[in-house]
Amino acid sequence: MAVEKILKDDASEEKGERARMASFIGAMAIADLVKTTLGPKGMDKILQSTGRGQLVTVTNDGATILKSLHIDNPAAKVLVDISKVQDDEVGDGTTSVVVLAGELLREAEKLVNSKIHPMTIISGYRMAADAARNALLQKVVDNKEDAEKFRSDLMKIAMTTLSSKILSQDKEHFAQLAVDAVMRLKGSTNLEAIQIIKKPGGSLKDSFLDEGFILDKKIGIGQPKRIENAKILVANTAMDTDKVKIYGARVRVDSMSKVAEIEAAEKQKMREKVQKIIGHGINCFINRQLIYNFPEELFADAGILAIEHADFDGIERLALVTGGEIASTFDNPESVKLGHCKLIEEIMIGEDKLIHFSGCEMGQACTIVLRGASQHVLDEADRSLHDALCVLSQTVNDSRVLLGGGWPEMIMAKEVDELARKTPGKKSLAIEAFSKSLLAIPTIIADNAGLDSAELVAQLRAEHHREGCNAGIDVITGSVGDMAALGISESFKVKQAVLLSATEAAEMILRVDEIITCAPRRREDRM
Amino acid sequence: MAAAATAAAVVPSSSKTETYTDTKRKDDIRQANISAARAVADAVRTSLGPKGLDKMISSASDNSVIITNDGATILNHLNPLQPAAKMLVDLSKSQDSAAGDGTTTVVVVAGSLLRHCSSLLSSGIHPTVISDALHKTSLKAVDILTAMSVPVELSDRESLIKSASTSLNSKVVSQYSSLLAPLAVDAVLSVVDPQKPDLVDLRDIKIVKKLGGTVDDTEMVKGLVFDKKVSHAAGGPTRVENAKIAVIQFQISPPKTDIEQSIIVSDYSQMDRILKEERNYILGMIKKIKATGCNVLLIQKSILRDAVTDLSLHYLAKAKILVVKDVEREDIEFITKTLNCLPIANIEHFRVEKLGHADLVEEVSLGSGEGKVVKITGIKDMGRTTTVLVRGSNQLVLDEADRSLHDALCVVRCLVNKRFLIAGGGAPEIELSRQLGAWSKVLHGMEGFCVKSFAEALEVIPYTLAENAGLNPIAIVTELRNRHAQGEINAGINVRKGQITNILEENVVQPLLVSTSAIMLATECVRMILKIDDIVTVR
Repeated sequence: MAVEKILKDDASEEKGERARMASFIGAMAIADLVKTTLGPKGMDKILQSTGRGQLVTVTNDGATILKSLHIDNPAAKVLVDISKVQDDEVGDGTTSVVVLAGELLREAEKLVNSKIHPMTIISGYRMAADAARNALLQKVVDNKEDAEKFRSDLMKIAMTTLSSKILSQDKEHFAQLAVDAVMRLKGSTNLEAIQIIKKPGGSLKDSFLDEGFILDKKIGIGQPKRIENAKILVANTAMDTDKVKIYGARVRVDSMSKVAEIEAAEKQKMREKVQKIIGHGINCFINRQLIYNFPEELFADAGILAIEHADFDGIERLALVTGGEIASTFDNPESVKLGHCKLIEEIMIGEDKLIHFSGCEMGQACTIVLRGASQHVLDEADRSLHDALCVLSQTVNDSRVLLGGGWPEMIMAKEVDELARKTPGKKSLAIEAFSKSLLAIPTIIADNAGLDSAELVAQLRAEHHREGCNAGIDVITGSVGDMAALGISESFKVKQAVLLSATEAAEMILRVDEIITCAPRRREDRM
Repeated sequence: MAAAATAAAVVPSSSKTETYTDTKRKDDIRQANISAARAVADAVRTSLGPKGLDKMISSASDNSVIITNDGATILNHLNPLQPAAKMLVDLSKSQDSAAGDGTTTVVVVAGSLLRHCSSLLSSGIHPTVISDALHKTSLKAVDILTAMSVPVELSDRESLIKSASTSLNSKVVSQYSSLLAPLAVDAVLSVVDPQKPDLVDLRDIKIVKKLGGTVDDTEMVKGLVFDKKVSHAAGGPTRVENAKIAVIQFQISPPKTDIEQSIIVSDYSQMDRILKEERNYILGMIKKIKATGCNVLLIQKSILRDAVTDLSLHYLAKAKILVVKDVEREDIEFITKTLNCLPIANIEHFRVEKLGHADLVEEVSLGSGEGKVVKITGIKDMGRTTTVLVRGSNQLVLDEADRSLHDALCVVRCLVNKRFLIAGGGAPEIELSRQLGAWSKVLHGMEGFCVKSFAEALEVIPYTLAENAGLNPIAIVTELRNRHAQGEINAGINVRKGQITNILEENVVQPLLVSTSAIMLATECVRMILKIDDIVTVR
């Protein structure tokens, strides 16, 4: 007799064919959802939040779309995860990786239906991925030695990344911004030193790069608005009276004058604290918490610029760029590291007054001020610029560069096809399928641009039969063009990551033959 | 509000994330977005222009009623659900912050552009092609507008007043435009810093609203106005000449510590003593204040304890010190900037050099009833700030007057930022339409087709102006086209006379910045809507 029940009541399992179908369909649905955002003529999506406020986001960034989805399908979750990893690792290609994985699974489904074992498909895919990677490695260009050329490479990559985003109209301007900012980092990938401030108003063209740091706060009343050679103390301390931290502590007195004395003593404590802070020999004091009226006045009297309520992010970054550390006790002035910068002044951006720190200790720090018509535009611009910055900083480390516009996919597809012809056995079918999936990317780019994709991809394939061909899809004119001449480049690292993680994700999903949904943990009844 | 209902009705059924999206669905979403956005645009269309009508907005939550024809205000209260409709609301907000005026225009233009886009889409042109053409058109349009504009000098008060009154003419308070326009100009000019002549911070202009009187009584005060009564117990001064003003951030009341405290009284004599001590304490503070010669106190509001007590008021009155209490902390900066003094946070720091000086501080009663304000005038070394006291016979008029004045101030600010004027009355739009139409003929391919369509879309402004004024829109627009084709680039609709005249001569002018930013923002928003192909519901 069969075992009646292994799993708990609410748990369920799906087996074999059904499980595989569920994963394929889930993954493909996710890929289809984002595939229209691919390429320079990709479309945007509205993300409408069902939560409070019904916030609306307009975006074309694959990672952002996928991150915000409600997903129930486990395979779909895998794709969301690889897109997230891609975002963290290299920053761009978040859509491509999902689309490629989706295509690989679509092809795999056909093979499975024609009774080829998933393991055969997997080993075929592995061989194909290796071949594809080698094909790319042979074609990479490395211009690290030549600073001039390297910079122009970076510009091209930035422009290619930005061309699919909202910033496409001003891509040269922003590419310049991004390249300048990344070059300041001098090879480190610490993007924290690049601060992005969003200020509604003006147009995207008015955005600019500023060396130094900008804090969106106000200077206290009656304090100097401009300080040269500033010594900065960054602190996180409460500036009101120190309280006895025992609940219900109270003082009993027998006259009003005693109460007045206590009040005076409290004031005195505050004053002492302020004196201690002043004793550090500073002329700028930045606190994360509120500075109340009384200490503010004391600081004003001492000619110290005091900034209150700088948020967490703000002070940490500030401490980083000015080379100081965040202090919360002030008894040992000698052990506290102060921050330094050449000049602090108040500047106006649009309608708002901000505080500008220039000539900071950490020379790499810079700020990009984004201007734009509305908050939607700004948010999207921020995401796009972040992508560009990520890709650039990765490229600075790994300076190998490829052409874009579907060129790498064509190269890989050709190589994989060759391999398929040489490989005996059923694996060759899987390898062929891999090459077909690779071709899907240029097809989708062409489709999104409203072009005749079948015609274009066929033309491309013919072009690529020649050795050393630079042909790719020129979306603007709607024809096959020379990618080198058009200046469309991509980072090798991004392509490699797309290829490898998409293959791995597809492999992982292919291996699945059973989905077990665990029983939800019951809420304990306390009654 | 009917349009709002339509806007809400077109909200699409929430899309499941795991449904398969095909090309059919993309079109549906785009069409749904376009029609929702157009519904919003139609809602405000009738309030465009000097003869535009007002909308009454009744809010469901607190039954308050607002009457306005300010596009930004209407849309702000509309609160649509559909995301694309929301984007139009945001569009009007951006125009409000960028230029301050033209909030209706920008929405109407966007609506019209969208209508033409949807016909372009249905003829099978790819949205990104339309979007690119739109971008090109907007750049070209800004060039054309700039070429049409007339430079203006800040010293040319007449021109500034003209443009402020153009903005005011379409509002409820239009009959007062002769009063409000010069007032707005003077207010802005008085806060322009000669060292930074391009920047105006409108926060330096404080608008105080006070119910009562009519809009005629609105005035600009060189100094400060508090919408408060002087706090006084019997016999306190309500008028102080040659005032020495202190802004204090501490309280004149019995001491209170942060730590919890209680005074324990064991017998009657002790109670007497405590009362006496309290009196002495307050008296001591007031003596210190008096010693510096201060005779006006502005006290910051405190949440922890009473700013003043009856007892301290009594002593302050005896010391002939005028007291204004409950000053908000946000206002302290404005006040200290105006009075050129420093706030005082502790009685120990009460020093003469921190005081501000003014010729006169007085409580003025505005008509009968409780309308009283405190005015500080003749301030020595006054900062670059200005206060405008707005009056109105009822709350609705008062609010609308405030909004209108804000628009007028923004218009003047635009002129300070970018010193060019352009004709009003639909003249720039018709000229744009004509020149863009001509330009479209030299363009190749689909672009030319799109540009042609946008050129027509811009005619919606003169069309609506004429329609709202009860004129025959088709006849007027055709006539306008004719006049412009003959080279009269400043021919526009004179709504008052109901005919077409040279609009510059009629003194209907507006800042260039309003027109250019309306075109730029409207196209940017339309392009964004066009590029959307799906709505995804997320957490």
